[in-house]
Amino acid sequence: MDWLAGAWAVFRKDLRLELRTRYALNALLLFVASSLLLVVFAVGQGNVTERVASALLWIVIVFAAAVGLGRAFVAEEERGTVLLLQLHLRGSMVYAGKLLFNVLLVGAMNALAALGFLVVLGLEVEAPGLLAAALGLGALGLAGATTLLSAIIARTANGGPLLAVLAFPMLVPLLLSVVRVTQRALLLGASAGPWAASVDDLVALGAYAGVVITASVLLFDYVWNDS
Amino acid sequence: MSTLRTYGSAYRVFTVVIAAWLTAVIVAGLVLEIPRLNILEETARNLYFHVPMWFTLMGGMFVSAYHSARVLGSGRLVHDVRAEQAALVAMAFGLLGLVTGMVWARFTWYVGTGKWWNFDPKQSMAAVLLLIYGAYFVLRSSIEEPKKRARIAAVYNLFAVVTVPFLLYILPRQTQSLHPGSEGNPAFSQTDLAPEMRIIFYPAVLGFLALFWWIYTQRVRTTVIERTLDGSLEPDRLPA
Repeated sequence: MDWLAGAWAVFRKDLRLELRTRYALNALLLFVASSLLLVVFAVGQGNVTERVASALLWIVIVFAAAVGLGRAFVAEEERGTVLLLQLHLRGSMVYAGKLLFNVLLVGAMNALAALGFLVVLGLEVEAPGLLAAALGLGALGLAGATTLLSAIIARTANGGPLLAVLAFPMLVPLLLSVVRVTQRALLLGASAGPWAASVDDLVALGAYAGVVITASVLLFDYVWNDS
Repeated sequence: MSTLRTYGSAYRVFTVVIAAWLTAVIVAGLVLEIPRLNILEETARNLYFHVPMWFTLMGGMFVSAYHSARVLGSGRLVHDVRAEQAALVAMAFGLLGLVTGMVWARFTWYVGTGKWWNFDPKQSMAAVLLLIYGAYFVLRSSIEEPKKRARIAAVYNLFAVVTVPFLLYILPRQTQSLHPGSEGNPAFSQTDLAPEMRIIFYPAVLGFLALFWWIYTQRVRTTVIERTLDGSLEPDRLPA
């Protein structure tokens, strides 16, 4: 099968199954909504600084990803379709299709989580384009890091909670940059322009996504094939 | 057990040399004169112990990653034992390095403040590396079958270790921190280290690296024996 057609077929399969049951989407949305509620009650009446609000937003996003993305490959094992995929497609096609699906899922979740946070905490956005860039690049990096890890935990006995343990140390570089950019996008009356000040961090986010996706592509076959 | 060749008397002699060398380094480090600097004063002696911990953590990281790659390449389980034990010993040295660094920073700069953590790239990287190895061992304990465990754990080891130090260490070279070597300058240039400290510092680095090697080889040998006895590691060829 032609590579692009194969990868696209995997993506469309996952999308169709997801739209049919909406399991992952509902799980993620509910997790984000419940976390928002917890944050509101934990923070209380006082104002939060932009830094703390950005930190809370991204912590909620990272935990939601750890909870909701673990099933990408486990579902294949449960349905018994792993052999089918291994016979018809090369590993890289499966990885690419799953990655694309995860990027879209995380991107949608990021957008909704950010919207929820802005409304609930009453924050104003100084640079909405920068916030969108942070959410988009963050989604790319997050999906890139967690797709290979969810393939790894699909091979373990009961590895559901394991995704958080495996992913969080690897997400530290992502978190460092993305919280700074989000903070600058929210900060009102900053001295330098928020875009100019964020160039280093945006490049770092792009580098993170590139590095984890490249490493995943190189290592995926060793996880996917059984010998 | 024919997966490892037997070490002869050269190994035993060398271990005695390492023990004597490190004793001399530790005694000299605590007793000999060092230049007096403001704020640092006697705590500068920590240099002989804190920095070599960093070298051993990095060395252990490379050894573990190399043997993980060999597991994926050749499939021989002895490389899995080596990767695992290198990660374990590196974790121990890394923990010591983190603790000595925090105590040092506390007594020189942070007395009277509430601070313990410096947010320095090297410190963050050491902490993240320790967490990665912790996750590595949790992953290992969740897979039963030895060959699958070796393969999956090797993939995680390589994935985490190749990406994270690059991103945490090479990229943020521009920030200020307590470490020399931040703000764009490489660490330990000519002006950073006085000659009377170098006499002890370089032997300390060599001594602790040798100590890492000694502990690591001992642990590899005992682990190979244990696992051959309980059947999870087959010898490469049957004993004659």
